[in-house]
Amino acid sequence: MSRRDPLRLLRSEVGLTFRRPRNLALLGVLAVVPVLVGVGLRIAGDGAEGPQAFLSQVAGNGVVLTFAAFFVMVPLILPLAVAVVAGDAIAGEANLGTLRYLLTAPAGRTHLLAVKYGNIVIFAFTACLVVAVAGLAAGFALFPVGPVTLLSGTTVPLADGLLRIGLVALYTAAGMAALGALALAVSTLTEAPIGAIAATVVLLVVAQVLQAIPALSAIKPYLLTSWWNVADGALRDPIGFDRMGEGLLAYLAYVVIFGSIAWARFTGKDVTA
Amino acid sequence: MPKRARAVRWGVPVAAVAVVAVAVGSGPVIAAVQGDPVLPERTAEQLLADVTARWGSGTLPPMSGTIIETASLGVPGLSALAGESTASPLSLLAGSHQVKIWYGAEDRLRLALPGPMSEHDLIVNGEQTWWWDSAANTAVRFRTPAEPAPTPLPTVITPQDAAERALAAAGDSTGVTVGNDATVAGRAAYELVLTPKAATSLIRDVRLAVDGETLIPLRVQLYAKGAAEPAFEVGFDSVTFSRPAPENFDFTPPPGATVKDGEIPALPRERVAAAAKDEEVKVVGSGWSAVVVAPFDAAQLPEAATTVLSSATPVSGDWGSGRLIRTKVVSVLLTDDGRVLAGAVTPEALYQAAGTR
Repeated sequence: MSRRDPLRLLRSEVGLTFRRPRNLALLGVLAVVPVLVGVGLRIAGDGAEGPQAFLSQVAGNGVVLTFAAFFVMVPLILPLAVAVVAGDAIAGEANLGTLRYLLTAPAGRTHLLAVKYGNIVIFAFTACLVVAVAGLAAGFALFPVGPVTLLSGTTVPLADGLLRIGLVALYTAAGMAALGALALAVSTLTEAPIGAIAATVVLLVVAQVLQAIPALSAIKPYLLTSWWNVADGALRDPIGFDRMGEGLLAYLAYVVIFGSIAWARFTGKDVTA
Repeated sequence: MPKRARAVRWGVPVAAVAVVAVAVGSGPVIAAVQGDPVLPERTAEQLLADVTARWGSGTLPPMSGTIIETASLGVPGLSALAGESTASPLSLLAGSHQVKIWYGAEDRLRLALPGPMSEHDLIVNGEQTWWWDSAANTAVRFRTPAEPAPTPLPTVITPQDAAERALAAAGDSTGVTVGNDATVAGRAAYELVLTPKAATSLIRDVRLAVDGETLIPLRVQLYAKGAAEPAFEVGFDSVTFSRPAPENFDFTPPPGATVKDGEIPALPRERVAAAAKDEEVKVVGSGWSAVVVAPFDAAQLPEAATTVLSSATPVSGDWGSGRLIRTKVVSVLLTDDGRVLAGAVTPEALYQAAGTR
């Protein structure tokens, strides 16, 4: 076993993920949604009130479209895409009967699980990159671009606005990677990939319902989904690094707990299929 | 695989949960291990005098920080009401909220109330005061009055402001003692305890934490009788005593925003005073047991108040009959003869006030 072996396995796994038509279709949907949001806002015009007031800026500034796209996609579409890939990671192999062959390789189960999770993280970051790039492309094509007005009422130059898009994309990707750990843990519990994906999405929806109940505000900091919205800290002046830092710690806690659950289950599991 | 090995493996996630739980709880644990901070002894009088001497002149050191405001006033129906729009200042009356503060000088102040994908900002810079509402995309400009700026938001009060009010309310009616030293925003603080002497008061005590070093009020807590958790609390979560960046106090309305000129609404106290002159509103009793009596017409109430009103229980007695709203710290009596009585007192005290015309 050469020392380059670990990366080789990861590279082959990533290659498989990004060659699968289903995953490419998912990324395609992620690219289309920002364009649809842009076209919709172009046709409907502005006039939005409430939290959407920020989105009405899109009509005058295409850069804001990317923020709008993340705002629209973070509750369901992005996590769904990540849940499909992560929920499939172990259960899919078990379902197809290929897990047995993977385990005959000398790499070991811990290593295989690490490769699977590395692949999920790469997919999560790619998914957010696709949203950001599609949002920017549609924004530049459909609308004029210029300085960005933040939630705090401050107007920052275009370059600063682009950096903030990068921050939102990275923070969101970290949140999706944390969800990936949860989905991976669920994936080790079953041999039906659709069950793992559905269970993850159900947990996600339940978390968002709990988060919306004022009487349960005490449990909010423990829910993964409530930290996703903190990405709006990138649109404040000064940038809300304190809350986003807490969010990253919450993500880390999720990765540690569900990563170890996946490990305990996967390394102790009898692989029959 | 043997069962035992499998059980050992599951110890790892259990340990992971424990590690995270310890990390989450380590703040309180470290505080508990360190115990209460020890500050040089000061009596209540000394502390009050030192505090007044230090910031009675109105010069606070420049600082910035995060204030957490938590209200659990127990107003029936309020959480549902406020939950509808978390970006609205009304929501500060229920639940926990974060306010960021930057204080440069008396006429350099910024308060930011972050909401989901929205923000409210109050910026005082010299002669100009701005109120920015990102959700409505509206900036309102006020002329800063010569007196220290009364914020257009009566519910958002800085610890200084709240402390001043608490101290003003103290008199013969209040027991003032110094409690155990507390830790607020990681700083050792004296705790001044104000205890109402009136038996009819619903308030057990008001606790004011004063920074041991700078003597700046860091936290105010209001405890209702028989409650372990404060009914209202406003205090620093983090604070640094350094001059905030000057751009925090610059505000230029963004292009496309609606800009309005606003009038700072008359202070409630002035309004009450004006109304009292017309003999519409009167105050029965004084200090903690004061009861405000005013004419009341349910038809004039805003629609939003009806959810709170619908929870009122019918009551009657020698004084007449009406409806009663009880919260942890305030009782409100709506009499059928068209009066409203309110105070931080027991319902019995309200009935008594209702009986004496």
